[in-house]
Amino acid sequence: MSALLELQRAFGAALAQRGEAAPPASLFRGATSATVARLAVYRGNVYGNRAKALAAAYPIVRKIVGGDFFDALAREYARAYPAASGDLSEYGERLAEFVAAFPHTQDLPYLPDVAHMEWLAHRAYYAADRPAFDPTRLAGVPPARHAELRPVLAPGCALLESEWPLARIWTVHQDDFAGEIDVDLDAGPDRVLIHRPRWRAQVLALAPADYGLLASAFAGATLGCALAVASEGDPAFDPAAALARWVEAGVIVDLVEPGEDP
Amino acid sequence: MSAVPAARAAPLRLGAGVGLRAPHYRDFLESRPAVGWIEVHSENYFGDGGYDRYVLERVRADYPLSLHGVGLGLGSVEGFDERHLAKLERLVDATEPVLVSEHLCWGAAAGQHFNDLLPLAYTPEALRLVAERVLRVQEALGRRILVENISTYLELGASEMGEGEFIAELVRRTGCGVLLDVNNLFVTEVNHGADAAATMRAIPAGSVEEIHLAGHLVTEHCLIDHHGDRVADPVWRLYDAALERFGPVPSLIEWDTDIPELGVLLAEAANARTRIEASRVRAA
Repeated sequence: MSALLELQRAFGAALAQRGEAAPPASLFRGATSATVARLAVYRGNVYGNRAKALAAAYPIVRKIVGGDFFDALAREYARAYPAASGDLSEYGERLAEFVAAFPHTQDLPYLPDVAHMEWLAHRAYYAADRPAFDPTRLAGVPPARHAELRPVLAPGCALLESEWPLARIWTVHQDDFAGEIDVDLDAGPDRVLIHRPRWRAQVLALAPADYGLLASAFAGATLGCALAVASEGDPAFDPAAALARWVEAGVIVDLVEPGEDP
Repeated sequence: MSAVPAARAAPLRLGAGVGLRAPHYRDFLESRPAVGWIEVHSENYFGDGGYDRYVLERVRADYPLSLHGVGLGLGSVEGFDERHLAKLERLVDATEPVLVSEHLCWGAAAGQHFNDLLPLAYTPEALRLVAERVLRVQEALGRRILVENISTYLELGASEMGEGEFIAELVRRTGCGVLLDVNNLFVTEVNHGADAAATMRAIPAGSVEEIHLAGHLVTEHCLIDHHGDRVADPVWRLYDAALERFGPVPSLIEWDTDIPELGVLLAEAANARTRIEASRVRAA
């Protein structure tokens, strides 16, 4: 092993140590007591930067558990899932998994799904911008063939099924929510769409028919097939109105030939 | 050496700029504050789209832009991430910045990123590695980059040369430029007794193309580079000395902790501008 690699690994190991443990004597210059104190500055930066990134991605989880608890949780998460990238917007992907197993959050059984929802919203925030559906795209396609086309969903769109009322949890934890912050946890289950209409991610509760439509579209189904799935459980489902609604919402952004790259 | 890209990357006339941070987006979108240029942390704009990229594109139309990377880790033996470099390349292509910079540090080992700017041991081996990386980045981006001296709280026992000597040799081997962070220079001087003036003398006069200014925090054990305060008086004095040695290079106010209203940053930038003008008069 190169001397430099050995040194960086030793430095890294010192950063990962808990508490006030002294690093190997020859690693750093200066008196041990000063070294321990200064190493703590680096440890504070390392864990602080990650905690800040985690808090940015998971504002609702943070509100639910409280700031101090979240900081402690962030530290444990950082130990369990060290950052794999120098790009901190990628950090925190496995928080849902982590809180599902974390002994101290077992009294919050909905927390993993909330974390999952927030991670999808975090990804949606950075997703590519995509112009709304351009109806002239259909100019050359006879109406009878529309059902054979495949709906394309906007970048960042995602669906989530949960036994908890996620859309309500999302809504009442928004910074600008002015209503009564009450959540009926027995109001679930929820099927939600996470998407970004313009700049801010949003979570919408979906009726089963709409969920069927969008989930089919995600799976690559044709429009005809997706609308048929949507109609199955809901005789009152209006395919034309549903299509118009999701185009209007910027969720369906294109209709392409089945073999075509969106 | 081959692969030394030509010409200075930035015109000297940029003057004083400020780091663009999210709390000031609205100011920049609505009122076009009078600053010479802006700088952002590259990683904050790695997304495919969304609000940050939108703001950057809008503001970019009004100001010269500098991209300042904080996560690449030029000196990491393990974990130098080509994917990260590809994201930077994409951002550079999209925004055509006037300056691109990275830090003289490492940040990853044994499979994890520490998400911090960690100090290198100044050894011939580190120099070879960092030079190789700088050349790799310059090749990928098709332009020269600036490399910034960092604040350090610990000194590696293995270091065999001074920071200035290390930087000078890096410049010689790669043709890169230097982003001289005067606050970092001061922090390192206080924390380790390194002579800031000597470090500046060691750095080739023509190589510094950008200067950073920021506040630091005085603690019991060391100075901490927290970017959360006004520039301290001794740092302004060091800045004047830097302008004298390196000329009226573009200078930037950085503020990342407890970010105040934009006016506070603009006042700091105005102070820098005054000092740049004074150095021009002295030089004339």
